[in-house]
Amino acid sequence: MKKIEESIDLSGVPCPMNAARALLKLAQMQDNSFLEIILDDGEPIVNVPGALEDEGYRIMVKERRGKQWMLQIQK
Amino acid sequence: MGIYLDHAATTFPDPKVLQAVSRCCQQGLGNASAQHRAGVQAAMVVEHARQVIAGSIHADSQELYFFSGGTEVNNAVMKGIAGARRKYGRHIIVSAIEHPSILEPARWLEKQGFRVSYVPVDRQGRVDPDDIRRSMTKKTILVSVMQANNEIGTVQPVKAIGQLCRQQGVYFHTDASQSFTKIPIDVRRDYLDLVTLSSHKVHGPKGVGALYMRQGIQIDPLMHGGSHEHGIRAGTYNTEGIAGFGKAVEISDRRDIVRMRRLRDYFIRQVEMHVPGARLNGSRQARVCNNVNFSFEGLTGKGLFSVLNKKNIFVATGSACASNELKVSHVLQALGIGQERANGAVRMTLSKWTTKKEIDAVVKAIRSSVNKIRVQA
Repeated sequence: MKKIEESIDLSGVPCPMNAARALLKLAQMQDNSFLEIILDDGEPIVNVPGALEDEGYRIMVKERRGKQWMLQIQK
Repeated sequence: MGIYLDHAATTFPDPKVLQAVSRCCQQGLGNASAQHRAGVQAAMVVEHARQVIAGSIHADSQELYFFSGGTEVNNAVMKGIAGARRKYGRHIIVSAIEHPSILEPARWLEKQGFRVSYVPVDRQGRVDPDDIRRSMTKKTILVSVMQANNEIGTVQPVKAIGQLCRQQGVYFHTDASQSFTKIPIDVRRDYLDLVTLSSHKVHGPKGVGALYMRQGIQIDPLMHGGSHEHGIRAGTYNTEGIAGFGKAVEISDRRDIVRMRRLRDYFIRQVEMHVPGARLNGSRQARVCNNVNFSFEGLTGKGLFSVLNKKNIFVATGSACASNELKVSHVLQALGIGQERANGAVRMTLSKWTTKKEIDAVVKAIRSSVNKIRVQA
């Protein structure tokens, strides 16, 4: 079971500000720690995972939660 | 360069702000709305600044919106709330000494069928919250009272007004352009619904401002275009300016407030001690830490301004925005201090870099200039 150190609810935050907020949070976290984010369906779930992977972060869990998505990201 | 005492009009950017702006310009950042990496990098700059500025007023970063400056924010609030809430009422309350960027939209709204109450101030420039209460009707949708006045520096009881407005279900806006980083702001503690913040008054770049808007409040957009800032302010992000604004707030230091307050009080004491016929305008206690405003008997502010200007001492008469107009400032008129005293007013505003040596030089220059003008008259 992974320990989630930080979480951010990015509901309603448009692209690419949602990715930016997640990246800023990850930059403050320790290596190998986990961040959980909540994303809206549509453009955010299409754009954000790629934006995080482009910066070297790993998406470990991607799970639909109703009309939203939960992602667990490892730094 | 001389001695610059017009920091209420604008401040000089801090070298650390210039570095932040310069770094941004050289970084190859894209449009902060673009989805590619260059865009995301720019968005990170914007979001970092948003977090810093929102945090400084105890707001959530999602409650902060970037604009092009204080005037645009004030217009957006006045026209935006009026548009969004007109179905609930068409009455707005403002203080008589607001900045023209509040008063002119108010007058424009009057032409659109809104009623505006202009609440008076006492001789020190203070708004009485009871006057706000008495002006309220069931149709009141917005109250706007600035936190500190740009000409006389008087600090308003915003918490009391905010609490009153919250109890009555009326939105409360304060223009904190002159007070931001000089008076601690806590949007929750002070019951603030909307707040105007300006970058260039706090050693940040010009062309950037921000609106704090409590979550759940909606305004009609001033400009229509892209969906930037949740559709509230369309237009490409001024990423460099926003980065500089964020840096300016990040490096603001409460110790500067204490230092400026001491220097301001020293300045006031020295003028009162050495210049006969000097009368302080505004409040002695409820005064923003960098503002000094004096009237000098027997001469006009314009006359003293010109003499000091020749000596490379830069001050203001009336408000900076109105200094090309000959009419007496509406703020000084509202104090009820009389035409002659209002005409004799000179505003001198300090910054974190103003020194005692500069103040001593200015007091000396005022003393000799005032004497010279009086002899000539």
